Amino acid sequence: MIYFDNSATTKPSQRVFEVISKELLSEDSFGNPGSLHKLGMKADKEYREALSRAASVLGCRDDELYFTSCGTEGANTAIEGYMSRNKRSGKKIISTRTEHKATLETLELLSDRGYEIVYLNVGRDGKPDLSQLENELDDDTALLCFTYVNNETGAVLPLEDIIRLRDQKNRNTAVYLDCVQSLGKLPTDLRKMGVQMASFSGHKIHSVKGVGMLFVKNGTDIDPLILGGGQQKGLRSGTQSLLLAKAFTAALEEAEENREKAFSEVSKINSYLRGELTKRGAVINSPEDGLPFVLNVAFDGFESETMLHCLEIHDIFVSTVSACSSKSKKVSYVLLEMGIDRKIAVNSVRLSFSRYNTMDEAESFIRAVDEIYEMFSLKR
Amino acid sequence: MATNVILARMGEVTLKGLNRGKFEIQLKSNLKYRLRDYGKLSIFQSQSRIWVEAKEEGNPYFENDESAKELLNAVTQVFGIVSASLARKFDGDMDSVLQNATEYVAGLLAEHPEYKTFKVESKRGDKKFPLRSPEICMEVGARILEDHPSLSVNVKEPDFILQIEIREHNYVYAGKVMGHRGLPVGTSGKGMLLLSGGIDSPVAGYMMASRGMNIDAVYFHSFPYTSEQAKEKVIELARIVSRFSGRMKLHIVNFTQIQLDLYKNSPQDMLTITMRRVMLQIAEQLALKNDCKCLITGESLGQVASQTLEAIGITNEVVDMPILRPLIGMDKESTCDLSRKIGAFETSILPYEDCCTVFVAKHPKTHPKHEDIEKAEANIDIEKMVADGVNNTEVIVI
Repeated sequence: MIYFDNSATTKPSQRVFEVISKELLSEDSFGNPGSLHKLGMKADKEYREALSRAASVLGCRDDELYFTSCGTEGANTAIEGYMSRNKRSGKKIISTRTEHKATLETLELLSDRGYEIVYLNVGRDGKPDLSQLENELDDDTALLCFTYVNNETGAVLPLEDIIRLRDQKNRNTAVYLDCVQSLGKLPTDLRKMGVQMASFSGHKIHSVKGVGMLFVKNGTDIDPLILGGGQQKGLRSGTQSLLLAKAFTAALEEAEENREKAFSEVSKINSYLRGELTKRGAVINSPEDGLPFVLNVAFDGFESETMLHCLEIHDIFVSTVSACSSKSKKVSYVLLEMGIDRKIAVNSVRLSFSRYNTMDEAESFIRAVDEIYEMFSLKR
Repeated sequence: MATNVILARMGEVTLKGLNRGKFEIQLKSNLKYRLRDYGKLSIFQSQSRIWVEAKEEGNPYFENDESAKELLNAVTQVFGIVSASLARKFDGDMDSVLQNATEYVAGLLAEHPEYKTFKVESKRGDKKFPLRSPEICMEVGARILEDHPSLSVNVKEPDFILQIEIREHNYVYAGKVMGHRGLPVGTSGKGMLLLSGGIDSPVAGYMMASRGMNIDAVYFHSFPYTSEQAKEKVIELARIVSRFSGRMKLHIVNFTQIQLDLYKNSPQDMLTITMRRVMLQIAEQLALKNDCKCLITGESLGQVASQTLEAIGITNEVVDMPILRPLIGMDKESTCDLSRKIGAFETSILPYEDCCTVFVAKHPKTHPKHEDIEKAEANIDIEKMVADGVNNTEVIVI
């Protein structure tokens, strides 16, 4: 099996597997961190330790991090929670149309509630128009919502430029950053990044589904989305899962240990594939300076889903965002927003890599593509 | 003690002459198969009715009203049944009739508080019963008026008609669920349905089953150009048709290579027609192997380019078997209505069908001529292609 769909989800690592099994098999680690007896105290202590270790990797304080269920919950809590608590900070939110649906749907909701949402134009390189941002940033701008690394193309946000503009134009404007795809791949030092909120997801970094994290900088207040027993300082009620906290932290530490090596290995895979695929007439949609972990590519003469299934025959797994139907073809809104021709967008698939992928796999991939062209191409 | 039973009425079957017995036996056997998951049942016929009763006490489908409705619906889905009612069965004299009638009405009013008017009808099969039918109606009517003051009698347009039947046992019921009528499946031979993932073909299968036909189906699968989901969807549609048509074999032909060869070797504007000709020939071979005497398609005249009279003529001539096209004169709206009625519509409109429109020509010939098809098939070994298709077939028993 060649798994090139790591932006969708990743396989849990051996270390994560061991942490989880140990936790499940242990007789005395099932306590509720909120309980007053010693089982509870133990759970609470270990939970705080997991939090603290995550904070040291992410470069923030322990009390700035919250465990969530997923990246989507992080986006919803951050955006809606911030606007709900900070009603006087302005009526304008600036973002782009290439955000993840978790952000776009939340913004849609806020738009219905009367907020003004400004979507910046996005260039062929996947980056938002900074001069437009400069013009739009004003005293009424409450929040900026951006994605650090785009999940479909790997386009990297010019974060420093954005923070600089924010600091120049309105220091009170908060920044929410979706770090789901950048975690473990780009350095994440929250103290230096200048953002007020950021979300992360466990299953994209070889942990398990069901756990994510939200960063909320001290001094930034937001309302909770989930109400209840007041756990996690009232921002995210619900009994904390020590198991998931440990599974997240273990994966985070492991990703950080392997980050630089993985980046260089994956860069080689990426540039090899770019070269070979271009030779074969494929169109690369990912920007030149994108994160090497994502390679969005259009295969000439193959609709996205056909290519996905052709590769599936070779036990290779990739993804497509353009589900098609007999009536209307749904095409990636991200690619269209970047100005990519619809005819190319309908043929686009996304390859996404992890530290477990190898050059051998990349070579097998190219061989499979050659066979597919040979066997299934509809070019006359 | 009163129990619930189902009484089902037969329609067209009762008009049959000397063959009537055969039709009735088939109908009972079909009911037995359709109701196989509803506990041990006794299904028998008496006086041109079919009765369904629980063999054992505690069968939930006869106790709880909601479950009883599910069973009633299953009964009405069996072709040959015109309508069915859930009735209360009891024994005893006129006192017992009055008591059961008023209790039944109490239950009915709890469910339908909007009912204000009623009338009573009765049938006395057991002529030894001391009261005659009009007398039974009068007495039952009087008792109901007394016990349920919110009701009054309206013989012309009542909200409900209370039916009393005095036979070997006594029955009271109101209302009936209409059935799908038709002839019992198994009385008109077997046909091979060309099943796609669309709206029309399941309806065509349903219509032929309603004329008593057993159905097998064939689906042409072109993975990776059509997805596995598309195949799952067709299997689900076959399951929906089989609710009415009974046990069915679904033949899934691996069509990818044939599709590709046709694509490469025949002109674009004739592609759909050459493809359909090959499909029909494969279907005919599978039909012969499986004892089917006809092919069934969901074609409707003029609906798409391959369904013009000329195109149908040219596709028709490659097979010897009759091709039945029950939808040929129907408009799309009526077909959609039928599709909804049989519960196939929501599945049919799932978006996997024709996922890959790559094989569909932008401008297909709508009025193909003979020389067109001769030219289109000149470079293709159709016979081998058909044989390959027949050999590359997977069978699923639905």
